[in-house]
Amino acid sequence: MSADIQFRRIHVIQGEYKVTNDPEVVLSTILGSCIAACMRDPVAGVGGMNHFLLPGQGTGSGGEATRYGVHLMELLINGLLKQGARRERLEAKIIGGAKTISGFSNVGEKNAEFAHQFLSDEGIRVVGSNTGGDVGRKLEYYPVSGRARQYPLSGAETQKTVALETAPPRIVVPKPADTSIEFF
Amino acid sequence: MSIAQKIKVLIVDDQVTSRLLLGDALQQLGFTQITVAGDGEQGAKIMNQQPHHLVISDFNMPKMDGLGLLQAVRSNPATKRAAFIMLTAQGDRALVQKAAALGANNVLAKPFTIEKMRAAIEAVFGALK
Repeated sequence: MSADIQFRRIHVIQGEYKVTNDPEVVLSTILGSCIAACMRDPVAGVGGMNHFLLPGQGTGSGGEATRYGVHLMELLINGLLKQGARRERLEAKIIGGAKTISGFSNVGEKNAEFAHQFLSDEGIRVVGSNTGGDVGRKLEYYPVSGRARQYPLSGAETQKTVALETAPPRIVVPKPADTSIEFF
Repeated sequence: MSIAQKIKVLIVDDQVTSRLLLGDALQQLGFTQITVAGDGEQGAKIMNQQPHHLVISDFNMPKMDGLGLLQAVRSNPATKRAAFIMLTAQGDRALVQKAAALGANNVLAKPFTIEKMRAAIEAVFGALK
């Protein structure tokens, strides 16, 4: 007897991250130049995905864009650790970063480079990577099993996705609570 | 010698990249005496052995979190007067209140700009230049 699992779909938009230990959840997103980092701890059975785009300028070390990318990676990692993951067991898949506008500076490639550099610096194992190319992707990630499936977008869909990705504001920083306190 | 050059700073963060970025930002602000630790426990150990004037610590860390480190720093007579700036990836009011109650000088939400970091440090030590 077999029963088809009805997966509950959760969409991850640019600037967001989602973490879950529900085996019946599939995380999905649509990527043009953007990158999605999918991470999981196979022992704890928890996984998650983020979705970010660092603007073309300032992706060098120390720039605001890098800080933003690091922030979204940290939110994802912290979210996983909170649900019982251990940093040393994390494994990652990096998807996206298409070169979608010919003649433009290759933002997608820089984003992919950033993600790989980050994971290498943090000692997080990359178990799968599919970046670059000329067309965008629709991505589905099963956070508990770690399975990732991607579907290429058509040229028109890719252009539409990139237009949405690069529409201002380009950096959507999750608004933190007013945390500033001063005693002096 | 500028004020920044005289201040010994301890960076405590479990993320290598965050430590590198913060170290980079501090160097841009003129700091030269920078030590790093990977978690609260290591940070507390360094503070016990060699007190620093300023601790900039992440909140969410394994072994001992930022609040634990803050408590350890404030309860040691040799380090209790050190300035302490807490960093948090999740802007959380409850955390800010706890940090304030334990004697943090400031809490900064990530991602912060270098100017915000400068303002937080200058609020304690005065103008860096």
